[in-house]
Amino acid sequence: MKTKRDRYTLWNQQQKFAPYLFIAPFFILFALFMVYPLISSLVMGFYEMRGFKSRIFVGFENFTDLFRDPIFWKSLLNTTYFALGTLLLQLPIALFLAILLNAKFVKGKNFLRLAFFTPVLVAGVFVAIIFNLIYDQRAGLINNEFLLFGKEIGWLSNPRYVMLAVILTGVWQWAGFNMIFFLAGLQGIRQELYEAAAVDGANWWQSFIHITLPSLRPVIAFVVVVSMIGSFQLFDLPFILTNGGEPADAGTTIVMYLYKNGFQFMRLGYAATIGWVLFIIIAIISIAQLKLLGIFREE
Amino acid sequence: MRFPYDPENFPLGKGPMVMLILFLISCLFIFAPADEAEKELEFWVFAPTHYEEYQARLPIYKTSHPDVNVQLINFGGTMHDKLLTALLSDFGAPDIVEVEINSIGRFLKGDIDEVGFVDLRPRLESEGWLDQFVISRFTPWSYGDKIFGIPHDLHPVVLLYRDDLFKTAGVEMAEIETWDDFIVAAKEATRDLDGDGEIDQYAIVLDNKTESDYMNLLLQRGGGFFDVKGNVIIDSEIAIQTLEFFTSLFNEYKIATPVYGTWHGDPSNYAAMQDGKILSILAPDWYVGLLQSQVPQMSGKWKAISMPAWEIGGRRTTTRGGTMIGITKQCENPDLAWELLKFTYFDRSSLINRYETTLIIPPLKAAWDAEALKQPLEYLGGQPLGELFIELAPELPPRYQNPYWSEAADLLNDAIFAAVTQKQTPRQVLTELAEKVRSIIAKDKERWGIVATNEN
Repeated sequence: MKTKRDRYTLWNQQQKFAPYLFIAPFFILFALFMVYPLISSLVMGFYEMRGFKSRIFVGFENFTDLFRDPIFWKSLLNTTYFALGTLLLQLPIALFLAILLNAKFVKGKNFLRLAFFTPVLVAGVFVAIIFNLIYDQRAGLINNEFLLFGKEIGWLSNPRYVMLAVILTGVWQWAGFNMIFFLAGLQGIRQELYEAAAVDGANWWQSFIHITLPSLRPVIAFVVVVSMIGSFQLFDLPFILTNGGEPADAGTTIVMYLYKNGFQFMRLGYAATIGWVLFIIIAIISIAQLKLLGIFREE
Repeated sequence: MRFPYDPENFPLGKGPMVMLILFLISCLFIFAPADEAEKELEFWVFAPTHYEEYQARLPIYKTSHPDVNVQLINFGGTMHDKLLTALLSDFGAPDIVEVEINSIGRFLKGDIDEVGFVDLRPRLESEGWLDQFVISRFTPWSYGDKIFGIPHDLHPVVLLYRDDLFKTAGVEMAEIETWDDFIVAAKEATRDLDGDGEIDQYAIVLDNKTESDYMNLLLQRGGGFFDVKGNVIIDSEIAIQTLEFFTSLFNEYKIATPVYGTWHGDPSNYAAMQDGKILSILAPDWYVGLLQSQVPQMSGKWKAISMPAWEIGGRRTTTRGGTMIGITKQCENPDLAWELLKFTYFDRSSLINRYETTLIIPPLKAAWDAEALKQPLEYLGGQPLGELFIELAPELPPRYQNPYWSEAADLLNDAIFAAVTQKQTPRQVLTELAEKVRSIIAKDKERWGIVATNEN
């Protein structure tokens, strides 16, 4: 017969395990849908499919093939170009918009904030379809209405301009989203700092460089890292905008090339290799950025 | 009345108790035994027009098969990826599925016995269907001696042209017989209308970014990327000459304009047509149907002639695009699936209905004598387009399928663009391309030790 004391230990036991049981669903799902596929894709990178049923061990051949594959390098270049466009064009614009919306003299802030943020709510596929019309060489809005450079530009038909067109679309779609982060960061800066600087005779530019930017550092680090990861994972926008990377693979990104290999060419091993190489690239860039922006620095 | 159990006594309160009860009830639904009497057939399609056509006809099927429940699903463009995943994982594939011509290659990789579709040749032969079809239309869906799909369509190609604008230029297109004739006529019709030194109206629009129009010309000449045995023949003299001709239409004769937008069905291409910037286009039957539904305001402005031949008496058509229907190996009741397949693809009234809604000519010859196919087409100013297509049908060139077509097409797109933009000569691009594709195939053969050929 159980004594009162025994029951007490049983209660104690379950109290010990209960928390693990409560968090178990997450870890089971995580293991099933994240850890297992990750490991299995790493293994896959060392194999190549032989039709639908069997596979063949190829060792590092997928990796060596990848480094000799001109289309992979081209897609890496395209993707890097887009990432740089994001870094040097989109984020400064987002910061600029945030500063404008944070300024006292701007009217209708709520409306503007919403307006700039809205594009991010539109699915990439629709954005691509709309911009296809805007960029069109003959009938498009840009060439037709502005004729910016005095002649028609083949935004999507001339390999030279394709990625630029993708970058500009990216700016339209994502600048407002990043603006929100910058805006939140700006609003968190203590007003006294500016007042003190003003007393010391600092002009706007000096306070921007010495107060705004340093105070925004954590926000900048977050936005830069997240945008870079997003840029390297770019897929749907150029896929539709350029009809799968045409012309001449000028619009092919790494993820698009991964998709083509995996799903169109049935080279799942090669696709897994591309995925892991992309993962390594993103990891290196992210860590480097965090280091450069001093996020690991002890305050 | 009192509850036998007071909800307030439930350990975490009333809310969680309600959630628990709902959870248990929904579990009952999930694990409830399915209705055994109903036979299920899952049918996947990727084209909205096909979906509408079959959906409308399912009630008719249901009257003769009341015990069969057909689940028709349209997955759009991503259907082929879903099918690939389902076949790879041996789980979740439909019973019947339609596959597009540029996507079928990847499903044929590896050992021919591992292909995820049922070989339909035995059924076609024993029931005597083969002779009733245009036999060349089985080539895209056949590999080795097996037939994995039934053709949905013929897709003969004609030259669609603006009769009014060619007449204004003093050209009678009906007299065109060869490509040489066409070039002479096209030079007349390609014009700078406002005298600003830039051409405003081009005789023909061609896709310089993808293989589509180049393959139109190459197939017409009897060439192709792969031959019947699966050999790469894209560096043959005929392929090189055809690409030289193709690029000359842009660069030497300056009578062709690159397609506006991403492809011929792009809204901006339609806009250019309406503005009179494009005077002709190589159009398969489905494309005329597309124009009819997407650009109805151009009704009466187009006319069609057979494609110009490469030499007098030569083949006056080619083939572009296509769909098959097949039964997957995961299907548990192939006999039932075969019945549904025949209902959608072999039934005369359904094929006539297809022509009436999409202008797609059926590959089953028995449907050709239908009155509907002989009717004058208002969109072409009363020309009986169906008659022209059927007249061309026997000439249709074969298009041999190959597991490497997806890779090949991707590289061919780049090659064509490089040749048209004069980065490299047609001979250079095609020689390099052929070497590249051959080395991809050789590498697989070396690894796998298999020789998947198309020899019959």
